[in-house]
Amino acid sequence: MTQPAHLTRRFFLQTSAAGVATTAAGVPAFAATSVNFQLSWLHSVQFGGSYIAAQKGYWTDQGLDVSLSQGGPNAPVEPPVVSGAALVGISAADYTAAAVAEGAPFKIIAVAMQKNPFAIASLTANPVNTPADLVGRRIGMAVANTPVLQALCTLNNVDINDIEIVPTQYDPAPLVSRQVDCLLCWETDLPVAMTVQGVDNTTMLMADHGYALHSQTYIATEDAIANRRADLVGLIKGEVMGWNDYVADTDAAAMLTVEMFPDAGLDPQTQKLQAARQVPLMFSDLTDEKGFGWFTEETVAENIETLALLGRDVSADLWDRSILEEVHV
Amino acid sequence: MTTLRRVLWVCAALVVWECVLRMLPDSLLISRPLAIAGYVSNNAALLARATLETSVNAAWGFVWGNLAAVVLGTIMTVFPSSERTLSALSLLVFCVPLIASGPILRVLFGPGVGPQITLAALAVYYTTLLALLVGLRAVSQSWTDLMRIYDRGPVSTLIRVRARASLPYLFVGLQISAPAAFLGAMIGEFTGAERGLGVLTLRAMRGLDSDATWALALLSALIAVTAYGLIDWLGQRMVGYRPVILLSAPAASTRRSTGMRLIEMGCTTALVLLLWQVSMDAFDLNRFFAKRPGDVWAFITDAENRNTLLSALAETLSFAAPGYLAGLALGAGLAALLVLSPALSRATMPVAVALRAVPIITTAPLLVLAFGRGLIGTTVVVAVMIFFPTFVACQQGLRQMPGQIVDLFRSYDAGRWHLLRAAQIPAMLPAFFASARMAVPAALLAVTTVEWLATGKGVGVLMAMTASTSNYNMLWSCVAILAAVAVAVYAAVAALERAVLRVYASEQLS
Repeated sequence: MTQPAHLTRRFFLQTSAAGVATTAAGVPAFAATSVNFQLSWLHSVQFGGSYIAAQKGYWTDQGLDVSLSQGGPNAPVEPPVVSGAALVGISAADYTAAAVAEGAPFKIIAVAMQKNPFAIASLTANPVNTPADLVGRRIGMAVANTPVLQALCTLNNVDINDIEIVPTQYDPAPLVSRQVDCLLCWETDLPVAMTVQGVDNTTMLMADHGYALHSQTYIATEDAIANRRADLVGLIKGEVMGWNDYVADTDAAAMLTVEMFPDAGLDPQTQKLQAARQVPLMFSDLTDEKGFGWFTEETVAENIETLALLGRDVSADLWDRSILEEVHV
Repeated sequence: MTTLRRVLWVCAALVVWECVLRMLPDSLLISRPLAIAGYVSNNAALLARATLETSVNAAWGFVWGNLAAVVLGTIMTVFPSSERTLSALSLLVFCVPLIASGPILRVLFGPGVGPQITLAALAVYYTTLLALLVGLRAVSQSWTDLMRIYDRGPVSTLIRVRARASLPYLFVGLQISAPAAFLGAMIGEFTGAERGLGVLTLRAMRGLDSDATWALALLSALIAVTAYGLIDWLGQRMVGYRPVILLSAPAASTRRSTGMRLIEMGCTTALVLLLWQVSMDAFDLNRFFAKRPGDVWAFITDAENRNTLLSALAETLSFAAPGYLAGLALGAGLAALLVLSPALSRATMPVAVALRAVPIITTAPLLVLAFGRGLIGTTVVVAVMIFFPTFVACQQGLRQMPGQIVDLFRSYDAGRWHLLRAAQIPAMLPAFFASARMAVPAALLAVTTVEWLATGKGVGVLMAMTASTSNYNMLWSCVAILAAVAVAVYAAVAALERAVLRVYASEQLS
């Protein structure tokens, strides 16, 4: 029933006080601003860098008292961000584009997953290695993701009508019980679960077949960007530091996650595998050169093309790099 | 002796379960009892904390939800003129699906247990209210006449006559509530809760951890069965009297003029729209996700949107109708069967309670695997989701048979069948119709869940798509149209009910 010690306000205030003593910057402890950070899913090493930032006091050094709100099946990210209950949320370029089309004043201020994590998972005995392999197969997915599959098909000259779409819940059971030949899922969750359970599986990352779409993007409202700039810069700065530590030792990030959330029922082995598998999605030559979270006019242009295939017409205005530019000076 | 025999039966079933699965080694979806026991012993502390969290939230939801039902029921009985409006409002609130209410509750309550408790309360207030209203009316006409002769008002009648008569039905409501509150608290955790059995279930499903999934399902079922049994025991102790014969003259047909009805309907609709607008404004909910009546109206006046919505609705209704009928038939049929063969009752009840207490995301994949994604599969899943209230209510209704009538049938050497057909089923009718009304919104919510999980068609998919498209206009239009359908079907069932009960239980017609 009680909150883990490291998530309480007192912990942050204590570490914040410690931060004053140790850092030359000397941020006064009483200035800690409360900030709510809305994650896109249940706690897991998917957000490992953020947990490191919290544990090591990177945010308290910035004068922020950040609480991490987890998501869930019925906890969409956009409502708390649009209503100001959360300062920043984790979204994805397509979700953000849709929300903006519905009137939400969002901007993408940083990009955690440079490569989109969507993948086609199949059993190794009956693999899908290329988009052409999808022809004549049954794919299990949420029908809401049909535009995603359609975009992949268009990019690779496959007729979507040659694929049988089976509406399934988001879990690996339909593939394992052979109700379907493949699943549309994230590279880092269901395939990892199958591997840990001893089910030999193969994944085809959609990003390797032209599906360029930023994921795990940080979104904030135009109002926040204009009026709470310092808080945003501090939050993203902590994120960058946390994720830099993460990539240096993903096993440690996985173990931290398991320890921080004893009530989440996390399996250390699964978390370690997931932690390692999301590294190639989040870190690239671009981030090595410019820093975590970065995006360029070129990557934005590629995203705009993919979004057009998804039926979303957006301009480069959806992205705002000014916060990152202050972070990575 | 019977306890020993029951224990032996359970052990035998577990051994068979274990052996069958050992012979099917590649079955990853169904766990062996020993593997489940292993998971439980390795994670005992985690499971204990999660169970406590979910149970406490469910208990608060149970208390608040049933309290709301009792207050509403009392108001409706004391001021009969308020009944139509209040019951329409209760129905409409019940019709709002989690996908629409979840984000609103989370923004209103912030982190914490508020949404879980609220959703548990919302899951129980409606069924209890309907059961309670039947009970408050299950009084002999002679008693109410007597009260009237002595010039006693409705409050006095409520306290001295109706309250006591309502007890068996109130306990039906509470029994239906026990697993429903637990499920509501679990589903409420999907709105971003940090801990609890719902969170663990979600993770186990995605992690293909079938030992954990089964352990959690069995644990949830066990808690629900225990709570159900406890209320049953309490009910039998507190309702310390036998059912009596309710003599009531067949009611005369009292048709109100069509004009009056239209005016009444218009007023209720206006009130609903006003409350919708005012409550969202009062809490200053952002228009992005909390759509007002005006937004929905603007959205559905667009022909393209309207066509999408209506064709999805047609698909949904074509699945909902067979599911609704199958659920009612299953519930009532099972209740009747158990009267014919009481021995079956003890064996079936835990399964029935379990099916009600385990989240559909756990049961649906297995049901879909067994019955497919076609009409049969979806009908089965919907029927499983809604049969329970009917089953419990009908079972209680059958028990309302006064002993003298049973004695009469016995003395004429009438068979069980004859007794069931000529006496018990008529006695069950008020409870059956109450559950048929309860099942209307439940079936619509169930079918949209099935559409999201298994068929990929209909209004359920339009609503589920909101998660990625932020098309909250579509979501709230779906909510509005489902609510309208629920009200219409409810009214139709109620009309049928009045026609039947006019003959069999006229005391129910106020």
